[in-house]
Amino acid sequence: MIRLESITRSFLLGKESVHVLNGISLSIQSGEFAAIMGPSGSGKSTLMNIIGCLDKPTEGEYYLGGENVSHYNDKELARVRNQSIGFVFQQFHLLPRLSALKNVELPMIYAGVSKKERQARAEEALMKVGLADRMNHLPNALSGGQKQRVAIARAIVNQPKLILADEPTGALDSKTSMDIMEQFRELNAEGVTIIVVTHESEVAEYANRTILVRDGMIQSPAVLDRGPSI
Amino acid sequence: MSFSENLLMALSSLKAHKMRSILTMLGIIIGVAAVIIVVAIGQGGEAMLKTQITGSGNTIEMFYQPSDEEMKANPNIFQQAPFKQEDIRALEQIPEIKRVVASSTKLSSARFQKDTVDVSTTGINQAYIQLNELKVEKGRNFSTSDFLGGRRTGIVSSKFQEEFFKGENAVGKVIMVANQPIEVIGVLEKPTGLLSFGSMEVYLPFQTWRNIYGSSDFTQVTLQAASAEQLQVAGKKAAKLLNNRHNTEKSYQVINMEEIAQGIGQVTKIMTLIIGSIAGISLFVGGIGVMNIMLVSVTERTREIGIRMALGATRGQVLTQFLIESVTLTLIGGILGIFLGWGTATVVSFFAGWPSLVSWQVVLGGVLFSMVIGVVFGLLPANKASKLDPIESLRYE
Ligand SMILES: Nc1ncnc2c1ncn2[C@@H]1O[C@H](COP(=O)(O)OP(=O)(O)O)[C@@H](O)[C@H]1O
Ligand SMILES: [Mg+2]
Repeated sequence: MIRLESITRSFLLGKESVHVLNGISLSIQSGEFAAIMGPSGSGKSTLMNIIGCLDKPTEGEYYLGGENVSHYNDKELARVRNQSIGFVFQQFHLLPRLSALKNVELPMIYAGVSKKERQARAEEALMKVGLADRMNHLPNALSGGQKQRVAIARAIVNQPKLILADEPTGALDSKTSMDIMEQFRELNAEGVTIIVVTHESEVAEYANRTILVRDGMIQSPAVLDRGPSI
Repeated sequence: MSFSENLLMALSSLKAHKMRSILTMLGIIIGVAAVIIVVAIGQGGEAMLKTQITGSGNTIEMFYQPSDEEMKANPNIFQQAPFKQEDIRALEQIPEIKRVVASSTKLSSARFQKDTVDVSTTGINQAYIQLNELKVEKGRNFSTSDFLGGRRTGIVSSKFQEEFFKGENAVGKVIMVANQPIEVIGVLEKPTGLLSFGSMEVYLPFQTWRNIYGSSDFTQVTLQAASAEQLQVAGKKAAKLLNNRHNTEKSYQVINMEEIAQGIGQVTKIMTLIIGSIAGISLFVGGIGVMNIMLVSVTERTREIGIRMALGATRGQVLTQFLIESVTLTLIGGILGIFLGWGTATVVSFFAGWPSLVSWQVVLGGVLFSMVIGVVFGLLPANKASKLDPIESLRYE
């Protein structure tokens, strides 16, 4: 599903270039549930942004679903984000003036789905994450866990094969965190590939593979196999 | 993503900052309203001047301007009435001409009992009455038999009654005009208007006038056409006909409507240019205001833009979103401006006694122009929004 070959990413800070990712090679199979762990500042988010096609590698090749996307232009990358990837962020990133339902409809607007179908599919996605009774609430009227469920509904509504979650439980208490991870486990059981960045080992335990990142490199490429999920 | 989708999105984000949106629109509202007012009053004024010159009944006056040779050949030429009775009959044959209104005026004296006074006596043909030129207040107007029989009847001006009869009713009295008895059958209305003091006038049927003065020539001829469009043609044909009949080159003329229209056009053009540039400046300033607010809006909504991009919005879609938002802003401003301008023009013209015309072309122009302003001044902010980096935008607080 995902194959990274010697990915580097460096940023120009003034005249100096800062190397954040220093040659990352990595494969993630379709249907995997992977956790990315590592100290703060080690480059996890930068890596996730590249996997999520929000950013391009400085060097190296990135194959997503067999296609080399490292040289895609902005428009093609936008289509990939829209169709093939679902994002879940630590800060939820919901639009505050839109109801839960309208927030979930957003990715479908950019996919060109008709209004009627959009509403039906958004309702379905919200029901799936257990928010059937909160559809018309504004984000401010929802708890942290509920907001993150809306974000998950939004991530899955275009039925992507891959879901990327950068510290999805970072702003939640541990009980809610486990509920959210349970949600990801269910999605994974349906065949969706999931990659989660986290600091917490309880969260990482939901994954069937942990990838350790340190100083922009993968520390132990060995797969820590915990057997199949569920 | 459809246009209506974008429009609804734009409306909801403008609604989220109602006060700011209205204040931003203000420049556009005032600019468009100014344009509407100027054009409405200008076009109304032009229409009014045109009717004043052509008359409401599509009439045009003929005049006689002898050439130098004619004046040398006949030094008394100005004492002679330039239009013959046969001229009038010939003019009546021109198909575009509906009526030929002819009259002849002579200064004369009127006597009643012992008083004598100078009056201008005007013999009129029947078309003169049909054109509603004489407004009779007391008594009656001339009848067909007055004209055909050459009856010794006359209508006097209100000033005449006032001065000569000391305000007593003149109807029924018999006065001597050029030593011929004339029965007064009617008194005209007082002329309205600030500058018209009225004059001593007696109107007679032309037949009667001819019998008194022994002349069958007319001093004044006014043509009436069936429509305003035919007026110019009728005038040209009439002038040609009379010049042919009198063997003159261009002594018989009509006022050239095209030249006058051009003259008026020149005046309105200058006026439109001056006020148009004022409106232009206010629209430009309004446009800058829109650009400024849209730039603020883009900065404020950086995170929203990042989120939309993460969810798959292309740069083009982000650009379109903000462009439609600024066009919606200026379009609403433009529409409000049209209503404001319309209302103001109506009120102003009501009090100024000056008609105002708001044509659909002007309304359409106002709508399109405000949209163009939205596009022009929205382009920079929209472009800025579309060029944002998604990752940095998502991190923006
Ligand atoms: N756009 C950028 N410009 C410069 N430095 C950056 C940029 N983005 C990230 N970095 C740096 O790269 C390093 C890794 O960042 P990040 O991937 O966010 O780490 P993590 O998510 O593992 O905490 C940090 O030191 C950070 O300052
Ligand atoms: Mg991070």
